[in-house]
Amino acid sequence: MGRLVLRRLSATVPVLFLVTAGVFLLLHLTPGDPIDVMMAESVDATVKETLRRELGLDRPIHVQYAAWMGRLLQGDLGRSIRNGEPVIENVSRRLRPSLELAFFAMTISLLVAFPVGIVSAIRRNTAIDRAGATFALFGICMPNFLLALLLIFFFGVTLRWLPISGYTDPLEEPWNGVRSLALPAITLGLALAAVVTRTLRSSLLEALTEDYVRTARAKGLSEWRVIWGHVLKNALIPVVTVLGLQLGTLIGGAVITEYVFALPGVGRLVVDAVFARDYPLVQGVVLLIAVGFIVSNLVVDVLYGWIDPRIRSR
Amino acid sequence: MAGSIPGSDLAEGAAPVARSAPDPVRAHRWRVLRRAARARLAPFGAAVVVLASLVALAAPLVAPYDPLAQDLGATLAPPGRGHLLGTDNVGRDVLSRVIWGTRVSLLAGLVSVVLAVLAGSVLGLVAGYCGGRIDGVVMRVMDAVLSFPPLVLALALGAVLGAGLTGVLLALGVVYTPTFARLMRGQVLSIAARDYVDAARALGAPAWRIAARHVVPNAINPIIVQASLSVAFAILAEASLSFLGLGIQPPQASWGSMINAGRGYLQQAPWIVFGPGAALFVTVVALNFVGDAVRDALDPRTRE
Repeated sequence: MGRLVLRRLSATVPVLFLVTAGVFLLLHLTPGDPIDVMMAESVDATVKETLRRELGLDRPIHVQYAAWMGRLLQGDLGRSIRNGEPVIENVSRRLRPSLELAFFAMTISLLVAFPVGIVSAIRRNTAIDRAGATFALFGICMPNFLLALLLIFFFGVTLRWLPISGYTDPLEEPWNGVRSLALPAITLGLALAAVVTRTLRSSLLEALTEDYVRTARAKGLSEWRVIWGHVLKNALIPVVTVLGLQLGTLIGGAVITEYVFALPGVGRLVVDAVFARDYPLVQGVVLLIAVGFIVSNLVVDVLYGWIDPRIRSR
Repeated sequence: MAGSIPGSDLAEGAAPVARSAPDPVRAHRWRVLRRAARARLAPFGAAVVVLASLVALAAPLVAPYDPLAQDLGATLAPPGRGHLLGTDNVGRDVLSRVIWGTRVSLLAGLVSVVLAVLAGSVLGLVAGYCGGRIDGVVMRVMDAVLSFPPLVLALALGAVLGAGLTGVLLALGVVYTPTFARLMRGQVLSIAARDYVDAARALGAPAWRIAARHVVPNAINPIIVQASLSVAFAILAEASLSFLGLGIQPPQASWGSMINAGRGYLQQAPWIVFGPGAALFVTVVALNFVGDAVRDALDPRTRE
């Protein structure tokens, strides 16, 4: 197990290095002078010069990279040019709503996917199975922002059950907090639920053909006991893989969801930074998101080895 | 995951009996087509895709109004005789804008996937064929691209490349490239080890000819399958980016930007959102049916 973790970690190092290089180069991909893009023409030339010197843009590119990398290794991700605050502070202030959204979305998706996936597998090729399949197809094809607007239309505008934007921290005001996160979490959770349902159904069907299932049935276990006691555990491995693969989509979905529902999360911060042309902030946040993504993929890989001992030995 | 959505559980029933076809290539193509058509929902999907393509091509002819013409006397008009899908907050005809938006969406889906297929195939081919250090460098760069959540990468790239359609197309092309590079590399590695490649090499064929005549034709099927499934995702991604404000700029119409512009009027005029929303959803569903049918037809793993 320790070896698996080590191997994964060592494979990550060069990728991390390339990721930082890519994020650094991002600023230099802008057509024209990045300072002119970031600041309006009317801004005083001396202010522009100061920013240029601060960002090191007046120096050769390899010197800039070395300086940037040096600061990065000390944990300095730079400062936002809009509010002058360090990127880290900008992000940490936004982290909680994003994590809460992710938690609720994940909970909803598993609460939906497991019953639907299991019933679809047991009642294969029945009306229930087909309804489940249709649900999964809708979930996969429905763009996040459209689902969000449909939910706002029905539950917010028409029925007026739930708030349609804004954020209350559920740790401070549990009832209002959960209500404020309900629609965003459903938006984000349903797409994930669709993918998990499909995966769970097909991996359950595959596991149901194994010999041990025949043995379990032969000794007179009920179908539910067979599924619960024997099949489900073996069918979980592909589900964990898919959850890992879906992380990227989930993060992208969170960006859109936070934007639509005006949640002050990290995703919203990316969008705001992009449109404010606050490139140091964009660089910092994108880098942090990428590192977070890489780390969670690492965790999924290790988790995978923990669930399935056969992978560890490979 | 095959067979888990309606339409992909097609390959039931007897496999087509091999007829005494003299031309094996044509016979194979025929089998592929028949298998694709047997998917119950594939014809529906194909019909929608063809219709959308025709609408995109003939947008100036089929759009009842100028998509940019404002009619301040008829703002937020509900769907009705004059305007089939209603009008938006400045009185523009929603149907005409949806029709013109079809152009943007299909173009974005096609161009970004074609870019990714070309770049990814070349990179994968080079990596797989050269091996060694080149392979290592190329594939680590691909891993690095994959280390960004796709939408976040596209957003950042689109932002620095400029908020036009070109920036978004390039950004999405970059985002999808690693998938094709990995696929192609895997194919090349398995094909390069086959006897007919050894034979060609023994005959003194240069590397480029071996690649063009032997490797690529045999590696192309999984690429086609992946490409056909990717178009739907690329269309969704373009819509998401233009919903956020990247991509084609107002007043030009794209489905994503129309939906974003209409969300402030959900209460008074939900049709501003639902027109382009329905177009987007139906197109993506249809492309998924077609993609599934292509996969079932070409991918040996999903045949019985």
